Amino acid sequence: MSRVNSQISSASIRNKILMDPSFGVISLLLLVVIVMSAFQPSFATSGNVTNILNAMMTVSFLAIGMTVVLISGGIDLSVGSTMALTAGVTGKFITYGMNLGLAFVSALAVGALVGLVNGLLITKLAIPDFIATLAMLGIGQGIMLYWTQGVPILGYMSTPYYYIGGLRKIFGPVSIPMIVLVVVAVIVAILLKKTNLGLNFYAVGSSPVSARNAGVHVTRIKIWAYVISGVLSGVAGIHIAGRTTTIPPLIGNGYEISAIAAAVIGGASLAGGRGRVRGALLGALTLTLTGNIINIVGIASSWQTIVIGFVLIGAVLANRATQMFGKRIHLRTEKMDRKKVSA
Amino acid sequence: MKNMARFSRILSIEGVALLGAFVVMVTYFSLTSDSFFVGDSIRYYVNEAVPIFIITAGLTYVIIAGGIDLSIGAVLGLSAGTSLTFSMWGWPTWAAALVGIATGLLFGAINAVIITVFKVNDFIVTLGTLNIAAGLLTVLTDHKQLIGTSDKNFLAISETKVFGVTTAIGISVLVVLVFEFSLLKTSYGRRVYATGIGKLPAFISGIDVDMVKFQAYVISGGLAGLGGVVLAAHLNSVQSGLAGGYELTAIAGAVLGGVSLSGGRGSIWRAIIGALFLATLKQGLQLAGVDPLIYQIITGLCILIGVVLDKSVYGFALRMTSKNLAKNDQVLQQGRSA
Repeated sequence: MSRVNSQISSASIRNKILMDPSFGVISLLLLVVIVMSAFQPSFATSGNVTNILNAMMTVSFLAIGMTVVLISGGIDLSVGSTMALTAGVTGKFITYGMNLGLAFVSALAVGALVGLVNGLLITKLAIPDFIATLAMLGIGQGIMLYWTQGVPILGYMSTPYYYIGGLRKIFGPVSIPMIVLVVVAVIVAILLKKTNLGLNFYAVGSSPVSARNAGVHVTRIKIWAYVISGVLSGVAGIHIAGRTTTIPPLIGNGYEISAIAAAVIGGASLAGGRGRVRGALLGALTLTLTGNIINIVGIASSWQTIVIGFVLIGAVLANRATQMFGKRIHLRTEKMDRKKVSA
Repeated sequence: MKNMARFSRILSIEGVALLGAFVVMVTYFSLTSDSFFVGDSIRYYVNEAVPIFIITAGLTYVIIAGGIDLSIGAVLGLSAGTSLTFSMWGWPTWAAALVGIATGLLFGAINAVIITVFKVNDFIVTLGTLNIAAGLLTVLTDHKQLIGTSDKNFLAISETKVFGVTTAIGISVLVVLVFEFSLLKTSYGRRVYATGIGKLPAFISGIDVDMVKFQAYVISGGLAGLGGVVLAAHLNSVQSGLAGGYELTAIAGAVLGGVSLSGGRGSIWRAIIGALFLATLKQGLQLAGVDPLIYQIITGLCILIGVVLDKSVYGFALRMTSKNLAKNDQVLQQGRSA
């Protein structure tokens, strides 16, 4: 009997690994990393690893926020534009003479406000999420362009901001954004898995009707999802302003696409109800690694977008393939287990 | 009472609110700007928007079938690039045009295969092919501008004028008519609606749901190819990044026109009115001398207001109609009992 038990548990561990929604991407990543480390001496150096980690920060913040929105069954196209806007708020307010802390708080507040407006438009006015956030993307970009008159914002950097932006490290390769990212990831992960609000996100995303019948305040939950995404865009804005030391008004262009791609590569479903913080980080890492490898291998810049396109489709296909494979193995082992137990 | 009923019936025709808003906007711009309601000006900006109209028609198929196609803008740009390149190599006009359309069909088929056979999310797949098409255009143009085919016939695809209307506009009208007709009056069109309304019920009633979606993506890709040929013939130059973001304008236009992103509701002419609305707005703002930096703010607000207006007018009309029906029922019943 104990022999059967141990067999079942080892099989269930194998199932767990194979059934993991990001198993395909993880194995693909491992393969690529091994190949790259073997053939490219400049890849597995500590300098390059820090490079990759630094480069993935901005997308990571946005992807975590996007994951929350996707789980609740929505989509947020405004994250890139909100990030640019909050970066602008930070930079401009500092040049107006505001102190750093207050500027950060106002940036986060602007992010939350944009999220709130998104949420209200989508829930109270019943505008499709895609369109509401697309309109907010345009509005945010327009505000930023008009405010800056198209001129990049300069001259807001100070010593503490160099640390906060991650340009100066606190010890070794560790910078403040890394710590912030870990803290944010842990908080959101706990929020999603252990709190009522988090479980409600999953419930609303899986089926709004059943969630409402079960007594979940669907409207409020959806608004919260967009507010969280807005605040995290604010965090990304503060970070990118510190990292780039200038803020062109269109700094956020295309980031919404990267964020969605990262979240989906990490196993979030655009149909709602599925997604994990880990997955978002994994997706962000995949995208950043792709860019990094393209640079190291020296692929001509015109080919870069093509490679990214293939990586996107390839990653989702890999997840899909391993899911099917995992399911099949799962079914087979279950059948075998049942046979053993009955024998 | 009778007038009210008629009024609510008119309002309940979907798209009337948008059409009303469109007329108001055109009137406003015509009154405030002398150069707005002039033949040349109208022809100019409608011509500019023709590729968007063409891809909006294809996109509407995909959205009604319950999918989404983000790749159309980039595919349109790439098709413009391939057809112009072949024309510059001295290929005959029809061959160059076919190459452009084939490029679009190819991308449509790739989207269709990955989405329907491998069951991968449509948003991500078409986002991927968007990147691939945009990248291929960059490679094709090699960061320079493709410019100037010597084939006059190729340019004539868009620029021939018949009764003062360019062929480009003619092509887009033809596309809208043909595809609207097949959407509304053929069994394929019905299957597209059925698939969008409910995949499972459609499947159970014997519709090959995947095939319907497959065809919708191929149509969308093919029309993006056609749009590319028209654009290449219109501009006679192609550079990398051409037509980037057209997909978002097309989606916004379609949704403004009442096409539901969850599938199963919408029609092509309304989607086109939506796209025309956005194109006219841009032109009007330009002529009114509005600061270009705030275009996007105004466009964004107009999209929001338009969608809300469409919904509320439609809802209002439905309520009115049902109220009238209830009243009629009462009258009938009273008549019967008396």
